Amino acid sequence: MSNMWKVLIVVVAFSMVCAAGCAKKGVEPIEEVTPPEPQVTQPVVPEPQPVMPQVEQEVTQAVIPSLEEEISAFEMRDIYFDFDKFNLKPEAKLVLSEKAAFLNAHPEISIRIEGHCDERGTAEYNLALGDRRAKSALDYLVFLGINPTRVSSISYGEERPVDPGHNEEAWSKNRRVHFDVQGI
Amino acid sequence: MCDTRSGMRGSGRASRQPCPGKGARIRRAYGARIRVLILSVLLILIAVPEGTAQRIHIDVRARGFTKLKVAMPAFSGSQDLAPAIWEHCARDLALSGVFELLAPQTYIDQGPLASVTPGTLKDWTLIGADYVITGSVARLGDKVQLRAEIVELASGRRLVNALYASPSGTPYRIAHALVDTFLDQSLGIPGMFSSKIVFSHRQAGKKQLMTAWCDGADPRTIGGLGDLVVNPAWSPEADALAFVSYWRNNPDLYLMDLKTLKVELLSEQKGINITPAFDPSGKRLAYTLSTDGNPEIYVLDLATRQRRRITQNWGIDTSPSFSSDGTQLAFCSSRGGTPQIYLVELASGKVKRLTFQGNYNTEPVYSPKGDLIAFTHLAGDRRYHVAVMRTDGSSLTVLPGTGKGDESPSFSPDGRLIVFAASDGQLYVTDLVGSASPVRITAGEGEYAEPSWSGVIRQGG
Repeated sequence: MSNMWKVLIVVVAFSMVCAAGCAKKGVEPIEEVTPPEPQVTQPVVPEPQPVMPQVEQEVTQAVIPSLEEEISAFEMRDIYFDFDKFNLKPEAKLVLSEKAAFLNAHPEISIRIEGHCDERGTAEYNLALGDRRAKSALDYLVFLGINPTRVSSISYGEERPVDPGHNEEAWSKNRRVHFDVQGI
Repeated sequence: MCDTRSGMRGSGRASRQPCPGKGARIRRAYGARIRVLILSVLLILIAVPEGTAQRIHIDVRARGFTKLKVAMPAFSGSQDLAPAIWEHCARDLALSGVFELLAPQTYIDQGPLASVTPGTLKDWTLIGADYVITGSVARLGDKVQLRAEIVELASGRRLVNALYASPSGTPYRIAHALVDTFLDQSLGIPGMFSSKIVFSHRQAGKKQLMTAWCDGADPRTIGGLGDLVVNPAWSPEADALAFVSYWRNNPDLYLMDLKTLKVELLSEQKGINITPAFDPSGKRLAYTLSTDGNPEIYVLDLATRQRRRITQNWGIDTSPSFSSDGTQLAFCSSRGGTPQIYLVELASGKVKRLTFQGNYNTEPVYSPKGDLIAFTHLAGDRRYHVAVMRTDGSSLTVLPGTGKGDESPSFSPDGRLIVFAASDGQLYVTDLVGSASPVRITAGEGEYAEPSWSGVIRQGG
């Protein structure tokens, strides 16, 4: 049975190859057999190859990340706010609990929290608002058990936008609190 | 002397010294007659203005005030200098808020014209002029001079007949002196062009302070204060600047003595140390600290260095501005849910909310006379505008401005004009009558913000 299936598959495959070749280049029948062959075999072979090394890399990275990589990941992730608001949104609290877990795992690390605003509103008020945003994040980390002596804060108001654009997409990125590892 | 003696010129380290005089209390009530003091040092006044008997009293802040029409034909004399000085004069006339320069194309005689003969007066009346300014420019060694005449057409009298001289590097000072004399002689408005503006300038990732004369002439960077400097504020006598610098990696408050150029750290509390504002006596400074939890307003006694907490509230309290009698502070607070303007009486601590229109009102500043408060107002068109209101919160008036988004107002010493920053990164001056489009006073690369207008700077001293 299995042999019959194999034969059948080979026959079907060959006929499909032939049909494909005929459909594409019907005018020149002499060359039709050879070119389609690599088309069939090549996609089949490379496919599984890239999958295996990728999985291996992901596994090794997740198991033993270096401290530098951890710090970089920690600093990459900001939390975001609504316009003229300094209350923590649910997703911000989730990120902050990850920050707290990192800080608990690395008691030697101290951080600085930067409060930022978008360009709208006035420069003076935004300095105060940035201070409140940083304070919201700081207070929540302390609530999660982080020693306040390990955390400092600074407000940059609207002075240091991460995105220089003048639209909501840019503004939503700029209304943020950024985390900076200070001392190890 | 001020302009020539300072070795700081071009050094990049320091701004021009304003050279304030001793005991120079700023007399801000216009209408009060004061001498045009700037002439005494920098400029030589060889002929005192004629005819000072009658003084017209017009409320130049009233709506419906019609600007005085001025004709100014091309200046005669040295033609390599005259057009530039004419331009400076034309610009300062426009900036004055009370004069309107008639288009030279409408003149019967476009000049150059050194003076007006009695027989031609009706040529100027015919085109609707109230005054005609004529002048003759000459170079004398390293100085430039302008002999100018201003004729009041209604009476036919010569209001001004004077010689103005200035080092050739500062020809704009001739325009300052001429228009100041004109303002004083025609309307009794004292020396607005003897005032400066301090502002922040962002360029190439740095934000530094700059000063310029109030028409934008002679802009200078104050270097050496760090890469991020904000919130500049003049002392009442324009002899010191308070500002915020991130020099020590925190927004701390500093004071710069403009005579000695000494910089002193005033406040370095944990959190923000921002938005300084002097009281009219120059002895106290109101500012914002967050050291006690969230942004609150404090008053610092500059002699004793004792600070007193003024506000006590869960919300943001910031941007204080002293009333002209020093007894109250206007400030911005988010205690009601959105930023609004409030007033606190310093003796009692009693707080009153002033703004109820719109959900974003910030950066209040008292007028020098103490009758108005200007602030930044987010209006129904979702744009920021400069607005003014009475100190009880009534008569809120939105100034037309640039229409692009305006903020950070500051009053001229006589309270007639306001300088503000627009979202195009430039600074503009507008009058409170709203009768003309704002005059831009900045040029060049970068972004200008947070202008603060000084009091009248007395030369000499």
